[in-house]
Amino acid sequence: MARLLQIFGFLSVLLRGASLTFQSLTVGGVVFLCIILRKSSESFAEINASCLSWLRRFAMVLAAMQISYLVANSLILMESAQISLAEVSGANFVLAGALGIAASLTIVVLSTHPRAGSAGELLLPAAVILASSVLTSHAMARLEYRLLLVFATALHQLATAAWLGGLPFLLVAIRRASSPELARKLSARFSRLAVVSVAILASAGVILSFSYVGSLKAIYGTSYGAMVSTKAILFGLLLFLGALNFQLVRQREASSILASLKRFGEAEIGIGITVILVAASLTSLPPAVDLLQDRVPASEVFARMTPRLPGFSSPAMKDLPEDIYAAQKMAFEVGSLSTESFVPGQSGTRLNTPAEKAWSEYNHHWAGIIVLSVGLLALLAQAGKISWARNWPLLFLGLSVFLFLRSDPEVWPLGPNGFWVTFADPEVLVHRIFAGLVIALAVFEWRVQTGRASSNVRLVFPMLVAVSGALLLTHSHSLGNIKEEVLAELSHIPLAVLAVMAGWSRWLELRLPAENHTRAWLARLWPVCITLIGVFLLNYREM
Amino acid sequence: MNMSPGHWVRVVFLFLAVAVSLLSPAFSVAHAVLLESSPALKSSVSGPDVPLKLRFNVRIDAARSRLTLVDPEGTLQTLKIQGQDGPDTLSSAAKGLRPGTYRLRWQVLASDGHITRGEIPFTVVKS
Repeated sequence: MARLLQIFGFLSVLLRGASLTFQSLTVGGVVFLCIILRKSSESFAEINASCLSWLRRFAMVLAAMQISYLVANSLILMESAQISLAEVSGANFVLAGALGIAASLTIVVLSTHPRAGSAGELLLPAAVILASSVLTSHAMARLEYRLLLVFATALHQLATAAWLGGLPFLLVAIRRASSPELARKLSARFSRLAVVSVAILASAGVILSFSYVGSLKAIYGTSYGAMVSTKAILFGLLLFLGALNFQLVRQREASSILASLKRFGEAEIGIGITVILVAASLTSLPPAVDLLQDRVPASEVFARMTPRLPGFSSPAMKDLPEDIYAAQKMAFEVGSLSTESFVPGQSGTRLNTPAEKAWSEYNHHWAGIIVLSVGLLALLAQAGKISWARNWPLLFLGLSVFLFLRSDPEVWPLGPNGFWVTFADPEVLVHRIFAGLVIALAVFEWRVQTGRASSNVRLVFPMLVAVSGALLLTHSHSLGNIKEEVLAELSHIPLAVLAVMAGWSRWLELRLPAENHTRAWLARLWPVCITLIGVFLLNYREM
Repeated sequence: MNMSPGHWVRVVFLFLAVAVSLLSPAFSVAHAVLLESSPALKSSVSGPDVPLKLRFNVRIDAARSRLTLVDPEGTLQTLKIQGQDGPDTLSSAAKGLRPGTYRLRWQVLASDGHITRGEIPFTVVKS
């Protein structure tokens, strides 16, 4: 039963993240139809039909995610609290979820059989989807300033949807526009909506941050604060791209800007999804204001981040706990866990032993050597000085083998736990998937760099790098405010942000039209980001 | 099959959306955190009757929350939750406890639908 609970626990967590992403796309689509395509005319007919078709798909996926989440969460509650279906059905999250599902399905129906000028009918179900999401947000469960926080959360989510969720619809509209002039007109309208959305998003974000983070010290001293800062950094990146778009729309001729607009839009969607996922991972953390103990003081952050020569000696396998799972279980049984709150399926958090920390540092430092070499060789290859430097992607093969062997020493092939444990432990599974992704990355990009691949395959490398960055940002969090956890998080954030930047700058370098001058510095930016990732990895410490 | 660049872009975006939404282990939806309890964590209290009170950082759905006492022999006893002093608290009472080490297991449903559980070890001494 414990295993079943663990699987359901993991599943409900995944579904929650997916629901938030598709909620933004669905609500964003409705806002786009109602505001950007508001004056329905013949020239919009094709765009309208195309947007409605995408809206229908997003709403269908949203409904499926909401239904699955509701079922998984209800089963967890019934099983773990031994209560009946009738009792569960009265819970707040069930009522809110049912509302959301009904609203999503209403949008599916309305967008399948649209009537002329009926876009306004979609507004009510879109509002219900938002309401259902707010009903299960941090704001609803707060004790103080609940009304203000509910209002700010609703505005924050609405503005996010209007801006980031609306972007894919803008790309569809630009593609389907009957003339460059019409595409430009729609882009200009969207830019204005985006500016208003950004203002609302930022204002509501400031209110929420003040309420949930509370102080400057909590920004770097807690996981929640650190993740909020990361969101702000990614938000800054999005604003930068938005500003480039805004400039394009205002200054250049319609025919010359469309290709660039589409490409910037793609990068914005990618970074936007990353921000939404960071936001989703924030909902899994207790607000910083609630955690007053064990915050990390600035002096400890400074000491951990101060550059020091990396070490390259690994502890022996025999120095690691014989069975990490058993050690975890025992720590829980004797009550020595450092957190008293955890979710069903988790066994709590145990502090790593010095040997485990040294093992992890060794892994990070060797990974740093490989990534630093990749970055420097890529810089040389981009400069066209040394021809063999373009074989740099092959270095990733070494990284993959290294990750596979050393990420989880307790699991096959090094440890006593068998191969199938890989699939039962989310953390091990993610590490193994990462190792696989790195092989894919090496092979695809080597073929690209050496001219063996078709042009489409070029996009695999930037996509994998960007996805890796996003995954790193949503890596496991602890419910308690364990210092080590926070310090580890602070070490991972720069790596993740640099990976997101590297991925999307390479993407833009490849996708932007030749006449766009931004390409030249983007071509230098991504190898620099990868080099910096190597430097940060070399300075990674857990002690 | 030859795919157009447009198709490729759709494929990679779908990959991004699905991979990132479905592979992240981080969405451990839960954030009801125990702020204080009586008895406190690893404290000693006088028996045989011990009032229990737990305070959390958020509003709790008491009807769908559970308190279980594990006695020194490992026997489980489900405790009756006696209403709420405030929306963030759970109260109960354990009666007739012999001296020894007990564990109070709690599981709460926060108003936002997140389930959290934990454990408070404490010792009962003769009064």
